[in-house]
Amino acid sequence: MTYELAADVGGTFTDLVLRVGGREVNIYKTSTTPGNISNGILNGIEMIATSLGLDIKTFLRRCTSFACGTTIATNAILENRQAKTGLICSEGFRDTLLIREGGKADSYDFYMDYPAPYIPRCLTIGVPERINAEGGVEIPLNEAAVKKTLSELREKNVEAIAVSLLWSIVNPSHEKRIGEIIEAEMPGIPYSLGHQVNPSIREYRRTLAAAIDASLKPLVQARIEEIKSRLSGAGFSGELTFITSSGGRTSPDEVIERPISLCLSGPSGAPQAGCRLARSEGIVPGSILTTDMGGTSFEVSVSVDWKTPMHREVMLGNHLFGVPAVEVKSIGSGGGSIAYLDAGGFIHVGPESAGAIPGPACYGRGGNRPTVTDANLVRGFLLPDTFASKQLVLDVAAAERVIREEIAEPLRMDVQEAANLICLVAEQNMVSAIQDITIKRGVDPRNFTLVSGGAAGGLHVSAIARELGIRNVLIPRAAGVLSAYGIMTGAKKMSFAHSLFTHSEAFNFKSVNALLDKLRADGLAFLDRMGVSRETRELKFSVEARYAGQVWQITLPFAADRLDSGGLETLVENFHALHETYYAVRSTGERVEFTEWNLDAMGPVSGEERRTESDGEKDPAAALIGHSEGDIRECGGKVRIPVYDGMRLEVGARINGPALVQEPVTVNFVPPDASGRVTAQGGLLITMPVQKQIELAV
Amino acid sequence: MNDVAGTVEHDEVDMFTMVVLRRRIEAVIRNMINTLFRTGRSGVLNTAMDFSCSVTDSEFRTVSTALGLPVHVGAIDLIPKAIAKKFGDDQHPGDCFANNSAYHGNTHCGDFTLCAPVFLDGEVIFYAIARAHLGDIGFPTPTTYGPLSRDIYEEGLKLPCVRIQRNYVDVQEVIDICQANIRAPNQFYGDYLATLAAVRTGEIGMQQICRQYGVARVRKFLAQFQEYAKTMAIAAIRKLPAGRVTREARYDSETDLYPEGIPIRVTIDVDPEEGMITVDLMNNVDNLPLGINLSEATMRATCYTAVLTVLGPDVPRSTGAYNRIRILSREGAAIGRPKFPAATSCATTNLTQLLGPMVRSAFADLRKGLGSACGTLGMPASCAVVSGQDDRRNGERFINQIIMGFWGGPGLQGHDGWFTHGGSGSMGALWQSSIEIVEQQQPVLVEALEIIEDSGGAGEWCGAPGAYCIFRSRTDGIRYTGNAAGHDFPPFGVAGGLDGSQNDVLWEGRDGARHTLANSFDIILNKDEKLVSKGSGGGGYGNPLDRNPDLVARDVQEGWVSPARARQTFGVVLQCDGFKYHADHAATGRLRADISARVPVPLKAYV
Repeated sequence: MTYELAADVGGTFTDLVLRVGGREVNIYKTSTTPGNISNGILNGIEMIATSLGLDIKTFLRRCTSFACGTTIATNAILENRQAKTGLICSEGFRDTLLIREGGKADSYDFYMDYPAPYIPRCLTIGVPERINAEGGVEIPLNEAAVKKTLSELREKNVEAIAVSLLWSIVNPSHEKRIGEIIEAEMPGIPYSLGHQVNPSIREYRRTLAAAIDASLKPLVQARIEEIKSRLSGAGFSGELTFITSSGGRTSPDEVIERPISLCLSGPSGAPQAGCRLARSEGIVPGSILTTDMGGTSFEVSVSVDWKTPMHREVMLGNHLFGVPAVEVKSIGSGGGSIAYLDAGGFIHVGPESAGAIPGPACYGRGGNRPTVTDANLVRGFLLPDTFASKQLVLDVAAAERVIREEIAEPLRMDVQEAANLICLVAEQNMVSAIQDITIKRGVDPRNFTLVSGGAAGGLHVSAIARELGIRNVLIPRAAGVLSAYGIMTGAKKMSFAHSLFTHSEAFNFKSVNALLDKLRADGLAFLDRMGVSRETRELKFSVEARYAGQVWQITLPFAADRLDSGGLETLVENFHALHETYYAVRSTGERVEFTEWNLDAMGPVSGEERRTESDGEKDPAAALIGHSEGDIRECGGKVRIPVYDGMRLEVGARINGPALVQEPVTVNFVPPDASGRVTAQGGLLITMPVQKQIELAV
Repeated sequence: MNDVAGTVEHDEVDMFTMVVLRRRIEAVIRNMINTLFRTGRSGVLNTAMDFSCSVTDSEFRTVSTALGLPVHVGAIDLIPKAIAKKFGDDQHPGDCFANNSAYHGNTHCGDFTLCAPVFLDGEVIFYAIARAHLGDIGFPTPTTYGPLSRDIYEEGLKLPCVRIQRNYVDVQEVIDICQANIRAPNQFYGDYLATLAAVRTGEIGMQQICRQYGVARVRKFLAQFQEYAKTMAIAAIRKLPAGRVTREARYDSETDLYPEGIPIRVTIDVDPEEGMITVDLMNNVDNLPLGINLSEATMRATCYTAVLTVLGPDVPRSTGAYNRIRILSREGAAIGRPKFPAATSCATTNLTQLLGPMVRSAFADLRKGLGSACGTLGMPASCAVVSGQDDRRNGERFINQIIMGFWGGPGLQGHDGWFTHGGSGSMGALWQSSIEIVEQQQPVLVEALEIIEDSGGAGEWCGAPGAYCIFRSRTDGIRYTGNAAGHDFPPFGVAGGLDGSQNDVLWEGRDGARHTLANSFDIILNKDEKLVSKGSGGGGYGNPLDRNPDLVARDVQEGWVSPARARQTFGVVLQCDGFKYHADHAATGRLRADISARVPVPLKAYV
């Protein structure tokens, strides 16, 4: 029997997924050991080995692969634990990281501090040099000044160096030369060059990427090497990979070389988990919204044709992460989100969270403000004695008290109604997040399947679907460990990019094709290194394109790996069509500009599950374990809600709402007018009733 | 959830529906903004995001103006009011009206505002509004700001609330007139389509909401929401001290009428018991023969915004809250409502940028801890409108406003100025142009963009620094126009805080000699000639001798403040071990006592 293992090492929990013999999937959850990720992983491995009745060595020797998602890079940034990093920039532009891009989110919010630059100004030094927009040298690089700068940085004890010059994307010679001088003058010091880390226009995003990358190098290298040696020391000789911000897996060496790719590792696995799980349930078409609702946050991504778009606008703490990452939108809305009334009596929920300590009032750990979890308990959607694998008995009276005092009495409603209201507000916040991301992508969510992940998701996902007009909701068995599942099944993948400005009226075929050749060579070399066989490889090209005069590009995929005049025509037509899809207008006949060429080099998705047909409809009666006195608004108030044990439900069981399905780490709600069916993979597929379409009087 | 309110009595919208409808309407506005942002063509739209979207109901009430530029959206209700006044019942489905006239409720002529009445069952129920700042509106000179315009006839094309679409089809004559008057007609049409797309997006969104919930219920929601906003505003006003404060400041004069500077006067009167704040602007000078007169829209928006920032971010920015602010203004006053044919093309920038801080600083006088100092004034030369022909693109014409180095936020209690605050019409909302995008779009090379040491006004809480910026022409004949301010009267400090640095505009010849330019400049610079901008820093808040010495050490470390100023102005004794500056707290205490003892020597003497 062989095993494949995946772990999502988060801040609080480590989620693990084990595939046995390429088929059966087991899921585990364990606490993360703060400060030492290797210990956390090894503890998890020990737990799994024990549950299989094996010692660690035997278990690890049978593991053919270990895929890992980790927050080490993200947390280093959020907690300011990066290396002391110097930045070399073009003279006259020391403040690029301070200026950022403007565009304050709420200009009325006056009383706040301006965020500090990622690298302080005192470690930022300009060198005389300048390249112009066409790549011409306006001021040659002053190498003596570079050396002087390096000795200054050495005296200031920097541990890494970032280099980012204006227009290095068009002419990287100065950045490359500075790299050579660094290697000669300060051999061994880690450094990153802007045009290599993030070869895209806009100096702030590129400089920040170089700064982040350099600043993470010492730490990431140490941690990854540690994980490698601890695993091999424990007997693991299989393939170790890490999931990156692009949602693909890559080798430890690639991650050490480009540690910025490790940012957002972990959550980037969820979207493909959503897609893959939906696909294995036979859900078509591939329009999927993957959500993940935990204790403090709610995350959502949108996938069309099973593909999840990348974007460059993720915020990492205060910093804009300009490198393409799987587009996952995150808001502060989870089970621990706190409900409160403002001075005008309007209710709000979150983003403040009670966290795990003190946690919701019902945890009995000193929490005294009402949370979403308290509301779910009060409205009868959570059972006090089966919460979180029965690790915690919930205090209903405490939850009722805080909701009554803080919400129900001031609003003159009864406590159940107030609990319903708290949940509605949380759901509206999540609907907002979903609308933001679907609006941005120009898609209509009504035709999507909503996949629910996270411990807190199953109680709210149907209400969210109803508000968005979505009919199909899937709560997979792996809902509690969605990201880890995505990490396990993720493809090996690396993104390559190159800037080259040209436009449709004077297209530079020669340079573009030379560049595509280079991208292809880089991509194939990566796939060779990763041992991906030729027949399972995939090269996906795309280009950043815009109308002349626009400054925001859209990502336009294309199939050809060389472009001729026919290929260009197709490319331009596809741009018009995509622009129309996103923004409802096209400007046929207008010049289209191309700025950056990208390649995703991918291996196959590991072990796609095959759907086994269920043999007809089953009666769930045998799995009925009791009733809960619930309060459901659509039913006009109090209702006895049947509760089923999810582990005892047979494939094909049909559950008519209202009903609750108790799973080991989650509870799922089937609303009154909907029905759920247990799928072949053990998930719960809920079908919402058809809603009246809104006719417009245009 | 769709029919949650079905169980409730008909005359009140319950909290469940309130929550849902508030989110729905905000989602519609966000959708409008996203449409405009991603499709706009000119730099001020798609890089600076100099545009705003909103909806009002048929009684011109707004629900949320949280998402636009403060100066754009504070009084956006004037736009549909102008339509109702001018067209009455002659509004039909598929209509869209264009307005850039300060005499018809618009902000200034550079803001191109489209507004469509939203119909349901043959009745106007809402208005969808999108306002975008265009790169050009057909001025005699290539700009949208005419600070020296003597009257409206020097301010280019006027669109006094005219129908630009009928039955969802362009009124071609109006488009033709626009394209005949506006430089870069193709860019204009692209921006028009983007703005129109936003309006139509809003129209569909509001119709969907009304279909689903019923017009009566949506209307009832709006009424209740205004009550809620009113309650929030009153609650916030009740926390303020009662009192009346008058402030006067001077503004750089470019008219012989006011050789000592243009006086600006504001009185605020806070009545916590009534929950009302009065902003009295009556005692101001007559309309000036300049383009800096305020429009009614910018005057009102500026007062609302300034007061609401004092009331805090939780108060909804909607009509119900605005109604707790009484504005007394005079027709024919520069700070008031313009009297035809006064020029107002700079109504969103120059005097607006002084009026907002004056209102806020009056609160600082009322009680230290409230309000703020003054942020940057005018647009620094690094925000010039540049135009010319681009040799790199076969002489293609270009015109764009660059938004660069628009910094200098005012100090306020507990916080140094927001670095990219810009003027009070933006308050940080504008996006800063990328150097590379600027250089790709124009044959201009940016030679420097860095903060100016010691430019932020010193205070317990400092003003943010101003920008040192140089543009070099890469071809002959590039024209730079701008409307700077803050040279004679730089951004003021309050509560003992010092003024920010003065703004300077210069040009540099090929020989390297620099020449000062006037605030309102219009200059053609040939290849290798340069425009040099030194932007104002924001004013400081509170006495600099009260500033935390550790913050001063950090400012010196980071090169924001010179060691000399740290000592002389902040009274901080620094020690430097290797590269790191530390404040010597004991020695600082002694130095500060010495400096204080020599009062009344004005602190500025030390700068």
